Amino acid sequence: MSDEAMIEALPRAPRGKGGARALRREGRTPAIVYGGGADPLSVSLDYNVLEREIGRRGFFARLYDLKVNGDVIRVLARDVQVDPVSDAPIHVDFIRYVAGATLAVWVEVRFEGQEESEGLKRGGVLNIVRHEVELMCPLEAIPEFLVADVSGYEIGDSIHISDIELPEGVTPTITDRDFTVATIAAPTVIVEPVEEEEGEEGEELEESAEEGAEDAEGAPAEESEDS
Amino acid sequence: MQQPKSTKYRKAHKGRIHGKAKGGSQLNFGAYGLKAITPGRITAREIEAGRRTITRHMKRAGKIWIRIFPDVPVSTKPAEVRMGKGKGTPEYWVAKVKPGRIMFEVDGVPRAVAEEAFRRASAKFRVQTRVVTRLGEGAS
Repeated sequence: MSDEAMIEALPRAPRGKGGARALRREGRTPAIVYGGGADPLSVSLDYNVLEREIGRRGFFARLYDLKVNGDVIRVLARDVQVDPVSDAPIHVDFIRYVAGATLAVWVEVRFEGQEESEGLKRGGVLNIVRHEVELMCPLEAIPEFLVADVSGYEIGDSIHISDIELPEGVTPTITDRDFTVATIAAPTVIVEPVEEEEGEEGEELEESAEEGAEDAEGAPAEESEDS
Repeated sequence: MQQPKSTKYRKAHKGRIHGKAKGGSQLNFGAYGLKAITPGRITAREIEAGRRTITRHMKRAGKIWIRIFPDVPVSTKPAEVRMGKGKGTPEYWVAKVKPGRIMFEVDGVPRAVAEEAFRRASAKFRVQTRVVTRLGEGAS
């Protein structure tokens, strides 16, 4: 299980848009704690502390102790709303810890052994299909991350969920198939036709003398280069 | 260059771009993304130029996703034509981009390569941009 951490929180009285905005102006972020058979509790957290915690990996897999008015509530972060432009957290959902409960949690997959992988050494590209995998976990045993060892894989091979070692009691939510987590794709070999779109190419050539030669080669780039 | 295969109407109103992006503001495919932070109309040419720049800098390694599509036709009048006599002919296609919209995503390359590719590509766009990473991978 991931390490636990303590966060100081304050109860918040004015709920709704106005109260939440006032809190944000004071450098605090509104949050809610729900679940566990108790009433939802509106709280606020220090923005800087929250941003630091979110910046650490495994935020959604780590149990936190929220200290609210002297009481300690053990919680798990379920969702973070962020500002679309600045990506600053504007609201956080926490769910209360219930001993023995099982929860669907998105867990990050890390890929190790890339230096030793024959496929990658030969120019293959690690194509990550799923950066995160949804797992059913007992709350006491949420893995901070999963490790996929790619060292033994060749070009064209796929890494499936069955190839990744899961902690005891942890199962993927997708059970009807052995889904792909990543593949080792062949390097893209580009055959660039020489024909040119006149006006467009002319402009590009003027723009950059350095890239000029390349531009002429890759003129009708729509189908010529893989994207 | 990208453009719709077919459209219901040939010409569109100019419109205005208000507010922030409602969707498409988080990374969905790759590890790194280029996010617009000002509003603007990105032409199909700009998208193609940005794509080429990114692809070339990444030396065609990795993978790239384009998250915007130019589906708005822009019409212009020919030179030295008096006002009136109807709307001009459609000349090019644009994607309306609101602040917060992820325009490109890449994966399969080191962070430094992705950032440099995006830096170069951002010079092709008329909107200001920012490089973003996945939540929990450090400040972006």
